[in-house]
Amino acid sequence: MRKILLSMLLATPVLGFAQSFQVNLQGQKQIGMAGAGTGLAMDEAAVFFNPGAVSFLKQNGVQAGVSPLFLKTAFRETGSDMTSYNKSKLATPLQAYATFGSPSGKLRFGIGVYTPFGGAMHWDEDWTGKYTVTSLDLQAIFVQPTVSYKLTDWLGIGAGFVYANGKVDLRRALPITKADGSSATAQLEGHSHDFGWNAGLFADAGNGLTFGLTHRSKVDATVKNGDARFDVPEALRPTFPTTFNATLNLPATTSLGIGYQVSAETTLALDVNWVQWNRYKTLSFDYDNNARIPDTESPRNYKDAGAIRLGAQHLLDSKFVLRAGVGYAITPVEDGYVTPEVPDADRWLLSAGLGYKPDEHFQIDLSFLYENVKSRTQTNLETNLSGTFKTVAYIPGISVSYKW
Amino acid sequence: MNFKYLSRSLAAIAVLALASCKPELADVSPEKGSADFSRYIAVGNSLTAGFADGGLYLDGQKNSYPEIIGAQLKTVGGGAFSTPFFNAAQANGSGYKKLQGFAANGNPVIGDVAPGAETGSVTIPGVGTVRTLAKYSGEINNYGVPGIKLIHAGVAAYGNANPYYERLLTGNIGTHNTAYLDFATAKPYTFFSCWLGNNDILGYASGGGVGDSPTDKGTFTAAYTAAIARLTANGAKGVVATIPDVTTTPYFRTVTTAILLATVKANAPQVTALYIATNGGPRAATAEDLFILPFSSLAPTMLGKPNGLGIPYGLHPGNPIESKYVLDKDEVATVTDFTNAYNQSIKTIAASKNLAVMDAGAVLNAYAAGKVVNGVTISSAFITGNLFSLDGIHLTPMGYALTASEFIKAINKQYGSSVPTPDVTKFRGVLFP
Repeated sequence: MRKILLSMLLATPVLGFAQSFQVNLQGQKQIGMAGAGTGLAMDEAAVFFNPGAVSFLKQNGVQAGVSPLFLKTAFRETGSDMTSYNKSKLATPLQAYATFGSPSGKLRFGIGVYTPFGGAMHWDEDWTGKYTVTSLDLQAIFVQPTVSYKLTDWLGIGAGFVYANGKVDLRRALPITKADGSSATAQLEGHSHDFGWNAGLFADAGNGLTFGLTHRSKVDATVKNGDARFDVPEALRPTFPTTFNATLNLPATTSLGIGYQVSAETTLALDVNWVQWNRYKTLSFDYDNNARIPDTESPRNYKDAGAIRLGAQHLLDSKFVLRAGVGYAITPVEDGYVTPEVPDADRWLLSAGLGYKPDEHFQIDLSFLYENVKSRTQTNLETNLSGTFKTVAYIPGISVSYKW
Repeated sequence: MNFKYLSRSLAAIAVLALASCKPELADVSPEKGSADFSRYIAVGNSLTAGFADGGLYLDGQKNSYPEIIGAQLKTVGGGAFSTPFFNAAQANGSGYKKLQGFAANGNPVIGDVAPGAETGSVTIPGVGTVRTLAKYSGEINNYGVPGIKLIHAGVAAYGNANPYYERLLTGNIGTHNTAYLDFATAKPYTFFSCWLGNNDILGYASGGGVGDSPTDKGTFTAAYTAAIARLTANGAKGVVATIPDVTTTPYFRTVTTAILLATVKANAPQVTALYIATNGGPRAATAEDLFILPFSSLAPTMLGKPNGLGIPYGLHPGNPIESKYVLDKDEVATVTDFTNAYNQSIKTIAASKNLAVMDAGAVLNAYAAGKVVNGVTISSAFITGNLFSLDGIHLTPMGYALTASEFIKAINKQYGSSVPTPDVTKFRGVLFP
């Protein structure tokens, strides 16, 4: 079954969106709790949320889930009465985890496949910001084999090695008019293969109180010899590049989580994430032919960002679990650097979830996450694109797990 | 409670949320403020007509700034806006220039598109040979007439001298006696734009300071006062535009002394200077002397060609580059001085009538110096700057859209209106083959 899930994962474009292009859709139970889960040993998704908690899982299991993401952004240029909307493009970030090893022993193993970074922003080919961007597809699939060790009956550590497979496809129009009156276009497409790690500590303080501390490393997604496809007038073609190099600095994330089992039925979780976006200073493209266009270095100057997430889980009976959560995320994008491919701002998160467990082995989890990104009126310092962005996202999700 | 019930509830919430999916921005409702835009007329010259690439043709007319403003005014009660378009069969109008490609050295190869609306030519006593263009009859809001000077606007016989004006008039060339301002104001209107005066200095400048003379400053002030008095006589409100300094256009900034000298030196390294004729006698050209754009195609055959005395053209004070090809430093100063004086008059007269002022001089200078708009780099660079068309003086559709946007901003500021600005990225720059 895992094999099938994995092949499905690799075949489907995995795209997402949340807090710049960090995607926080890594486990349906946790999504239902606004993304909190670092301080809980809840399920196989601990491989992502806290490798230290894997050794505390009472059962082994395998799970796979998907979170179809409906993202709507509106833009109105300053002074205009026209509103542009992004195209409806369904992104489907998937996640799959499995844990192995004896639940009674100290050493456990896990593997996770997930999408911590992604973006799927498609604007109309002729929209007012077309010379800044028409579409961005970005996906980073991480594969993470993991080891977790229970040092004592109250403390666990764990670490995973991350193989990051990235893909980027960025398109824009160029202010060069072809003979038919349409604009020239540029498409930059490339793949990256990079490495990182994910490590965590998990502590059971007793009295229902648990703590987690994790660090997911930075990854520099480096595209070498990506395809630069310039659809330009014939007379200019030889002067344009055909390949490019670029590096996208993906941030490290440090998370602190607290879990509290209020009663046999009710558990609370609080997560604080610190996302070290300040590494993302520029988006640079290095072209193989600079006869007509120079290498570009667009300032991004992100600052560190954070999020706070509060979630609750309540067992209704032996079969049903309800979940809910609320969160607030602070954007890494500073004034003057908001771009239409990532029209980011501070956002509120509201979530709900439902778990159903027909028998000892199977479990189905449903989640629904609503993200409301605050409206933001900006003039980009590089492109002078000036106007107001407003984004909302609706993310239903489902996962199936099997425990043994 | 069962799974079906709960999951259906969750699905219902999701469907409801998705149904109200589109994010909402605060409503905008364009307001007309204290102005009445029900009939807008545009008075002006080639810039107003949509002249581009060295000619007036249908595509340029469709992208004139008054057309763009007229479309935007419809959101605040503006009526139909008509431009005296050439019809489809006459689409090439007066003929125009077209970029055909680039030579091996990177220089653009520019060709000519034959006229589509020329009907012949007539000799007018006292004027000379005047081309005639296919007549237009029908509604007019855009009264832009290429070539017209401010001081022509009140001349009754002017219709016999300018083919672009002539084609708008009924009757035969040679018999016209309706002054331009009388023609434009004949039908009631509520709002006007006026961008006149550019040609009062352009002829002098584009001719390298030879041939045409700038309109006397006092004469300009009097004529502008009269024109504005005429345009506001019925109580109409309006917007006027100042005159851009033509010496910052690619027409004067593409063929530089340095480029010409480098070209000559490639074959004759001993040459150290180019010589130009000036009012003060021949002298070596400097970076402050501006060669006109058409000299780029003449220079390769003319420079260095010996005259009857064996003196190479342009390389010796004895056979300098003729004054008509270069606006020398002193002439540049004259152009700037007259432009500033005209603009002072325009601003003063507009203020006295409480009219909006679009400071085209300041605006186009700022764009010409280089500015990024919605990710597009705009500059005065010839062909690649997106602002100026292939003649180096008139604008591209994108340039006209930026102009329209600035007119609208000036209108909104003066009249408390909120006319929406156009999307300039919908308009093109120079067409590449």
